Amino acid sequence: MKQFPKNMIAKNAIKAWKLTAMIYVLVLWLLTIGVFILTYIFEWNFWYGGAAIMISLLCTYLFIFLFPNIRWRRWRYEVFEQEVYIQHGVLIVSQTLVPMVRVQHVDTKQGPILKRFNLASVTISTAATTHEIPALLEDDATDLRDRISTLARVEDNDV
Amino acid sequence: MYKEKRLHPATIFFNFLQFLKEFALPIILGLFTLRGQALLYLIFILGAIFLVILSFSVASWYRFTYRVEDEELRIEHGIFIRKKRYISINRIQSINLTQSVFHRIFKLVKVQVETAGGGEGAEVSLKAVTLQDGELLRADIKAKPESIEHSTTEDVPTDYPSDKISVRRLFIAGTTSGSIGVLLAVFAFLISQAEQLIPDDFFDQSVQWIIGLSLTLIIGLGIILLIVLWLLGIAGTMIKYGNFTITKYKNELFITRGLLEKKQITIPLKRIQAVGIDESILRQPFGFAEVYVEVAGGSLEKGEDFSTVLFPILKREEIEAFLEKYLPTYKSPSEELHTLPKRGMWYYLVRSSVLFLIITSVILYFLPQFIWITVVLLLIGLLYGFLKYKDSGYNINHKHVTVRYRRGLSRSTIRIFHNRLQAVEIKQHKVERMQALASVKLSIIGLLGSGTHYHVKEMEGKEAERLFDWYSYRKRDEANSNIYS
Repeated sequence: MKQFPKNMIAKNAIKAWKLTAMIYVLVLWLLTIGVFILTYIFEWNFWYGGAAIMISLLCTYLFIFLFPNIRWRRWRYEVFEQEVYIQHGVLIVSQTLVPMVRVQHVDTKQGPILKRFNLASVTISTAATTHEIPALLEDDATDLRDRISTLARVEDNDV
Repeated sequence: MYKEKRLHPATIFFNFLQFLKEFALPIILGLFTLRGQALLYLIFILGAIFLVILSFSVASWYRFTYRVEDEELRIEHGIFIRKKRYISINRIQSINLTQSVFHRIFKLVKVQVETAGGGEGAEVSLKAVTLQDGELLRADIKAKPESIEHSTTEDVPTDYPSDKISVRRLFIAGTTSGSIGVLLAVFAFLISQAEQLIPDDFFDQSVQWIIGLSLTLIIGLGIILLIVLWLLGIAGTMIKYGNFTITKYKNELFITRGLLEKKQITIPLKRIQAVGIDESILRQPFGFAEVYVEVAGGSLEKGEDFSTVLFPILKREEIEAFLEKYLPTYKSPSEELHTLPKRGMWYYLVRSSVLFLIITSVILYFLPQFIWITVVLLLIGLLYGFLKYKDSGYNINHKHVTVRYRRGLSRSTIRIFHNRLQAVEIKQHKVERMQALASVKLSIIGLLGSGTHYHVKEMEGKEAERLFDWYSYRKRDEANSNIYS
């Protein structure tokens, strides 16, 4: 049986994701209110508003309460001498191998929301793909970046 | 070659032509639509523009110089702002000589120099130099012995493996080129345009005349039209791939092709990312295929993505021998591909028909009398899905992975080296997991840094893991250390 990557990302990731989701869902709720106002003015069928509420409620539940938890539990990574092994995904679970010899550069990134929770994400780029490990503790992210970039310096002699 | 050189004066003419080409459509449109005084103004303006462009063409030709000096190709150009570009010869990856019809009249060539940087367009393009100068420059840059034998582009050194397309094969390639559809569209467009040129009453008469004709005659005309298009397809292929010759030098492939516009393409072996075999719907039943390579960086040929045709047409059973001759490392010990498990078929059928299924149900609700059209579409969708499932296959050996899939109307087989894969990903959703199925994504370098990705969907879960382990550098290292310890 295949073994999973060992390391998990920071627990605070859930909070950060929830906050991000809240902003999007807030927009959705504003739109819903907009639908109600329009319904009132133009005397539309009440069902439009009803449908909008249902959709908003569903999204609120999925994106704020359900998905961040699953996503966090699923998110795993492990850095080996030869490669980075990543697993993530809520509905579709994906596992990725990125060999060190193919890594072109590693970046750390931090947006305002991650900053609030003292988190940062690490982005690994190859010539064809980009892979992001989101929401690590700031220090962990820096360490990881340095470690990968050191390991990525290996010569490609497998020709 | 330390002397500064200018391009051939014909460049002025080429610059001018290029301008004409870009503005041809608006000018022609203008000539057709404008009448009277407006037309006169247009001609005046065009005349003025022509003069300006002409003087610019002359000036830019005069200011453009190139030379090889201190192991560098040095280009200086620019009318008002002097621009200098020095390219170290060591950094030059390939140099291509191309001849268009106009080049041939003046016995000239276009030289394109590419470095590893890649991206859009050639790094340096010398629009027109004499054939001798072009060959000289190539010799200077490549400094390889065979360039001297290359005094004319016609002859190819005999001690390197080389193949030239036969006329018979060229004919087959043209017949099955499948560009008939494109030509049909062009033809339809021309007819629709002709409507404007032909006087109205004449057009009406012709329409009535055509309607008056018996059905058999119309069918006859249709057949003649198809034959004409078929011949055009052959002519197109002849022009594009006529005299197609591939030669292998020490570490690069060299391709010459084209009947009117002569193209020379150099492919450094180490830039090849994958080798592909393309069997279009017209060729597959006859066992013919086209062999191409995916090449990283540079723009070997504009408009053909970064796939470069290695040989336009080959019999399926000749392919492995062809690879052995030109790309021996890409030869596979076994051609047999593994197919996908039956339980994965449903995913393919659903994916290819779900859109038509939705359309069908909508039509059924609103316009039930047209239901048969959507049912036919639905059946085509299902058939396509089945073909996609049937064609999907893969094979792993120690060195490379081979993936076969259907893209559009043709079946493609692509072979990628382990060390050319940039990343490998396994995807699996809940239902797939319960059925022990998984999908795999293989990524290689593609155009403009976005990468090219190949998918094998719904393969046996165990096999996906085997592929994953095969790719893992860690597992490879472990396996190696086990052998040596």
